[in-house]
Amino acid sequence: LFDHQSGSDDSEYESDVEEDLDDVQDTNVGGASRYLAGGSDSEDEELRKRVVQPAKDKRFEEMVSTVDQMKHAININDWVRLQEYFDKINKQLEKVMRITEAVKAPILYIKTLVMLEDFLNETLANKEAKKKMSTSNSKALNSMKQRLKKNNKLYEEEINKYRQSPETEEVKESDDADTEDDDIDDCVFVDTESEDEEADDKGDPSWEKMLSKKDKLMEKLYSKDPKEITWEWVNQKFKEVVAARGRKGTARFELVDQLTHLTRIAKTPAQKLEILFSVISAQFDVNPGLSGHMPINVWKKCVNNMLTILDILVKYDNIVVDDTVEPDEDETSKPEDFDGKIRVWGNLVAFVERIDTEFFKSLQCIDPHTREYVERLRDEPMFLALAQNIQDYFERSGDYKAAAKVALRQVELIYYKPQEVYDAMRKLAELVVEEDEEEDSEEPKEETGPPSSFIVVPEVVPRKPTFPESSRAMMDVLVSLIYKYGDERTKARAMICDIYHHALVDNFVTARDLLLMSHLQDNIQHMDISTQILFNRSMAQLGLCAFRVGMITEAHSCLSELYSGQRVRELLAQGVSQSRYHEKTPEQERLERRQQMPYHMHINLELLEAVQLICAMLLEVPNMAANSHDVKRKVISKNFRRLLEISERQAFTAPPENVRDHAMAATRALTKGDFLKAFEVVKSLDVWKLFKNRETILDIVKDRIKEEALRTYLFTYSASYESLSLDQLAKMFDLSENQVHSIVSKMMINEELHASWDQPTRCIIFHDVQHTRLQTLAFQLTEKLAVLAESNERAMEARTGGGGLDLSSRGRDNNQEYAGGAGGGKWQDNMSYNQGRQGYNGGARSGYGGNRSSGHARDWSGQNRGSGGYAGRGGTGNRGMQMDGTSRMVSLNRGVRA
Amino acid sequence: MEEIKENYDLTPRVAPNLDRHLVFPILEFLQERQLYPDEQILKFKIELLNQTNMVDYAMDIHKSLYHTEDAPQDMVERRAEVVARLKSLEEAAAPLVSFLLNPNAVQELRADKQYNLQMLKERYQIGPDQIEALYQYAKFQFECGNYTGAADYLYQYRTLCSNLERSLSALWGKLASEILMQNWDIALEELNRLKEIIDSKSFSSPLNQVQNRIWLMHWGLYIFFNHDNGRTQIIDLFNQDKYLNAIQTSAPHLLRYLATAFIVNKRRRPQLKEFIKVIQQEHYSYKDPIIEFLACVFVNYDFDGAQKKMKECEEVIVNDPFLGKRVEDGNFSTVPLRDEFLENARLFIFETYCKIHQRIDMGVLAEKLNLNYEEAERWIVNLIRTSKLDAKIDSESGTVIMEPTQPNVHEQLINHTKGLSGRTYKLVNQLLEHTQAQATR
Repeated sequence: LFDHQSGSDDSEYESDVEEDLDDVQDTNVGGASRYLAGGSDSEDEELRKRVVQPAKDKRFEEMVSTVDQMKHAININDWVRLQEYFDKINKQLEKVMRITEAVKAPILYIKTLVMLEDFLNETLANKEAKKKMSTSNSKALNSMKQRLKKNNKLYEEEINKYRQSPETEEVKESDDADTEDDDIDDCVFVDTESEDEEADDKGDPSWEKMLSKKDKLMEKLYSKDPKEITWEWVNQKFKEVVAARGRKGTARFELVDQLTHLTRIAKTPAQKLEILFSVISAQFDVNPGLSGHMPINVWKKCVNNMLTILDILVKYDNIVVDDTVEPDEDETSKPEDFDGKIRVWGNLVAFVERIDTEFFKSLQCIDPHTREYVERLRDEPMFLALAQNIQDYFERSGDYKAAAKVALRQVELIYYKPQEVYDAMRKLAELVVEEDEEEDSEEPKEETGPPSSFIVVPEVVPRKPTFPESSRAMMDVLVSLIYKYGDERTKARAMICDIYHHALVDNFVTARDLLLMSHLQDNIQHMDISTQILFNRSMAQLGLCAFRVGMITEAHSCLSELYSGQRVRELLAQGVSQSRYHEKTPEQERLERRQQMPYHMHINLELLEAVQLICAMLLEVPNMAANSHDVKRKVISKNFRRLLEISERQAFTAPPENVRDHAMAATRALTKGDFLKAFEVVKSLDVWKLFKNRETILDIVKDRIKEEALRTYLFTYSASYESLSLDQLAKMFDLSENQVHSIVSKMMINEELHASWDQPTRCIIFHDVQHTRLQTLAFQLTEKLAVLAESNERAMEARTGGGGLDLSSRGRDNNQEYAGGAGGGKWQDNMSYNQGRQGYNGGARSGYGGNRSSGHARDWSGQNRGSGGYAGRGGTGNRGMQMDGTSRMVSLNRGVRA
Repeated sequence: MEEIKENYDLTPRVAPNLDRHLVFPILEFLQERQLYPDEQILKFKIELLNQTNMVDYAMDIHKSLYHTEDAPQDMVERRAEVVARLKSLEEAAAPLVSFLLNPNAVQELRADKQYNLQMLKERYQIGPDQIEALYQYAKFQFECGNYTGAADYLYQYRTLCSNLERSLSALWGKLASEILMQNWDIALEELNRLKEIIDSKSFSSPLNQVQNRIWLMHWGLYIFFNHDNGRTQIIDLFNQDKYLNAIQTSAPHLLRYLATAFIVNKRRRPQLKEFIKVIQQEHYSYKDPIIEFLACVFVNYDFDGAQKKMKECEEVIVNDPFLGKRVEDGNFSTVPLRDEFLENARLFIFETYCKIHQRIDMGVLAEKLNLNYEEAERWIVNLIRTSKLDAKIDSESGTVIMEPTQPNVHEQLINHTKGLSGRTYKLVNQLLEHTQAQATR
């Protein structure tokens, strides 16, 4: 068919045609005749548009010609004319917009604006040229300045976008070619571009041309006789090169090269410094996207440049780096022995932070199973050396705030390293430096080509990081500096890292005290996502630490929240878990990916799960046995109960394979009081090899299992016995008599077990407090009545209290999102030390009313009193604790939506 | 002996929180107990004195330490210096001092501070400078060891002073003077005054406030274990949340004193349960026999352990400068607190023991209570008679039999349902109100 061959490669169009074919069902009519008859709707549309096209083209052409004129005016520095053309193009813009019905201004216009703005700035900066201008010209210049400013404000966003990525903008634009307009736009654009170049070629040897002819510039740069080079000349060249930055068609690498060359021929240290700053900025620009990372070799060069900057700063201590004041034009011309301060614009902290971020990003992007990743990790000492030097410099110059910021960056590289890894890094650092020295000795040979630099800066600053013996010592030094001088966020992050590190080295009590003293749990909700993740991670680590030192209850309360929503991966930023219920938008996904932790920082999830489940088992099994008549009432770990239910539902139980199966198998054994089997199953997990002192930890676990088995046994079978002898129990559970005595006594005092000792015969005598069937039923009835009354009250509250019910149901669905904003610090209560949380009982909680009382809420009035409150504890009386409900773990989605 | 010194002597931990002058009583005590060699203590004393103006005293000690008759040159020089300074300060403060010594003039002072200042300025030409001089003079007096004078002047100074910071430090000075003069009643008053100021004042940093509280508690130890009502007071002060927090963060050794007070004080028994929880948390950071004793009885139910701890506690109490105060009674001296402590501790053990037992052998019980059989029997009979214990003695088998105390099922049921009718009634009322409000709307 003609249509098919006519080159319309639009598949939709094709299918349309085929449909048409079916519709018409007339094989006699040729393709051409159908075409004429206008059988195809889309074709019709096409036709209409084609008619319109010329009109649009015309408008565009007008605009293009105006732009050309403007360029000419720019070349001859004629501001009067420029002003006229500016009016003209604005009018034309209106017309074009009206015709194309576009919302956004065409890219051509934006480009013109950018060009104008740049030229304006250039002219304003060039004071000498300004003086030479005629009065009318300078008048026009001034009015243009005002108007352009006003005008550009309207298109601020587009301009910024364009400036950031002139090319991607184009690509995007053409990608969006869902409408005909854009196609036109684009083709016009291409036209102008070619004209653009032509214009450049035609024009005088202006600075613009020099840009497009980089080779020439480079040639000029390199070939310039060293004797002729003056400060002014270098400065001028520098300005030229910098002006090209971010401009379309400027190759970023070449820009870096040019600038690097300029640093070699810089005349004064200050100038060298200024140019070096630009080099680094340009190096940051090499990779424009947010997702990718900076090429590694560029990163290394960047670090070296930073070190050179430091060399200069340390050697010439009259040079000050500052980004608050705009320095004078010829500030950098001051010679090195200038008496007084030389100010150079720049921000060292920002650079260091950027370098660190790039390092982090590169680790995020590189596949952790490759050699490249390991190689990349070896660069860490390099950064640490830089950071240490910068921190030193800041401390010497008294800028402690900046020093604290840099210190934080170091802390964040150290905090997750156990002593072994830290030692490895120390050794590596020494090795790396030796290698570097070898490389350094080779380098000068390569550099013989270009003229050697005028300002030779010896390496004043050490290129090697210094590490104290233990990672703890290093952390202490850094962290105390931060606590003293850091701002709020820096302090909070440092504190979390500190907690993490304390937990890592089994310092549970210190870590816990730090956590409570800092009130982080109360404020973490208001912090940024990455800090929240850090907090989650340190909670996980704290849980592992508590487990290692045998504090099962504490470990459980640290970890249970992580596992309450089955989103551990997300909460720890160690991968993404797919949720069935809501799809993530691509934007969310991208955001999440940017937060991911590099592989070497990961906490082993299997280990974490094993610890969590075993803790839950040790607490939950006796608890279930104690409340066998109404299982639902007291739930310690919802997650564990759910898993148990699932495993119980299975008809056949296979031998355990994963962590979860193991935990369930152990639970089954423990429920029967078979501690040996339970322990064997737990022991057979291979994640334990990740613990350093595996044997002691397993011993602790074994003891705990025995204890809980005894308790479970007593709860379950006490009804069947009149008395039990102490020795028998001790033998049964392989415990010492003292231990059994202590455990049983505790149960008696807490009224968990209705029994008492008969001292002469060393027996437990059980009191027959088994309720009769009638009594049990009566108790159940009273409880149901209480529930009924409560639900009545809630229903009432919902009606009269203005949507209380509504809130509660929403609270339940979204409790991840609400993330415990009301401050129901679960693990605080659980671990029985509260801090002063005066705001705790405030109105913020009312929204959770329904949620709280939905059958899981209870008051552990006995448990909730504690120490560790460092700002006073108000209202001991009614601090309830929430078993489910508001999770304190921090949600990622919340941040994304907010 | 060595062990006791290392483990239980709190002097090194307590001393940094005290005023120099307040350390002397502790050193005296240690000297008496012979825990450390005399020389060491004397040297330490001289070191302390070097920073004060009690040069004469320092000279005496020096002489007894080195068995010479000559005082070192620098001490002699310092003495002259101190005397000269005292003179000059005396002169500076003279106008105000003479005014204060004149009873007629003092009567002109009124409650109104502003008026007083005005009056002093107009009629006696006493301005802020003189008042400041009085403070300096009082401070100097204190440093010279003349506590009576210092206390008087500081009291007067406080009535005239308008600077809050100064007034606070004057109050500290007054408290120290009163403690050193052993005026426990007045000292207690001053302590409470200071506490109020510390609690209400806004400090530059919370840390500062905590530090002030710690000081206050340390200084208070002198008062609490000497004042009649001190053992209740110490619980009331230390067991306040703010102060307990301060103890936990910065001075866990103070828990020893609080624990002791809890054991010997029957009136504050209800708070004990809470305190046990605190102990459970703090056992990581601080170990002390008295605390361990409580843990044995109330946490681990390890009665043999408690028994052992009791003996250690005795050692600790006798060797503690605050707890081990001696009372000379005729020829032999006793430590009243020790006896009291042991008696109460015994009761603690017995109470808990009984709670979990149905039948106890008298012989074992006697052993556990550190009594012989007869005494134990008498002791228990007394308890039963005063209806502190619901039990019977079976002398045939030589056992004590506890009466079972089981809650009545009927009562429990009633308790459970008691609230229901009230709640429902309230609910209905609420509903009615609501519907009425809706109808009128």
